[in-house]
Amino acid sequence: MSWILLVMIGILLIPIYESAQEEDVWQRMLAFASISTKASLMILVISVLRDDWMIGLVGVLILSLGNASLMLLAHILRRVNQS
Amino acid sequence: MSFSVLGPAVLSGLSYGCMGIGLWFWLWGTWPLLGDRSVLYKLHGLSVSDTLGSMLIILGLLWKIPREWPLLILALISLAIWNTVLGYVLAYCSAGNGELAERQALARALESSAAGNALAPDTISSDLTGEVSHDG
Repeated sequence: MSWILLVMIGILLIPIYESAQEEDVWQRMLAFASISTKASLMILVISVLRDDWMIGLVGVLILSLGNASLMLLAHILRRVNQS
Repeated sequence: MSFSVLGPAVLSGLSYGCMGIGLWFWLWGTWPLLGDRSVLYKLHGLSVSDTLGSMLIILGLLWKIPREWPLLILALISLAIWNTVLGYVLAYCSAGNGELAERQALARALESSAAGNALAPDTISSDLTGEVSHDG
């Protein structure tokens, strides 16, 4: 099972690199949304591997709260760009 | 939840297959981030591949360890709802800026032309700004 985690870490490096080198704020938001989903899925995989409910709960919370907070951030950025 | 009808080898194969396809989806959607395409193009690929790939990975986990099904099904539902809504909101917010700038430029042009034609510029500008604020 650990090969899955290794492949996930490899794929996670792509949006991390993109968010570090991109100047446009929307492209960065896109990369951050991708990082959030991937990181929470990795936490879920680890929780199933270790058979630990608590870690899995943290993964599910990050999955829903991370996306919701990114939505709020997108609206704030839009308002800032308007004014 | 038990899948005792299927043998353990079949279940294991199904689970690894789902996870492998999910990882391939992830890579397929994330790779275009490195290119120079528009935000909407990247957003489309990324939201489709992230949602479907993650759901396939969770399905694989569900087949692997069915004992944790409440957590994994909660993750599946929140993934399906929130990732879709986030994709829509990001597209709306990132694409709305150009449209808004166009409308503001149009409002300014109308205002100046109305002032030139001795019309009441306040009514036109307030109409347009009212339309813009309704958009958000």
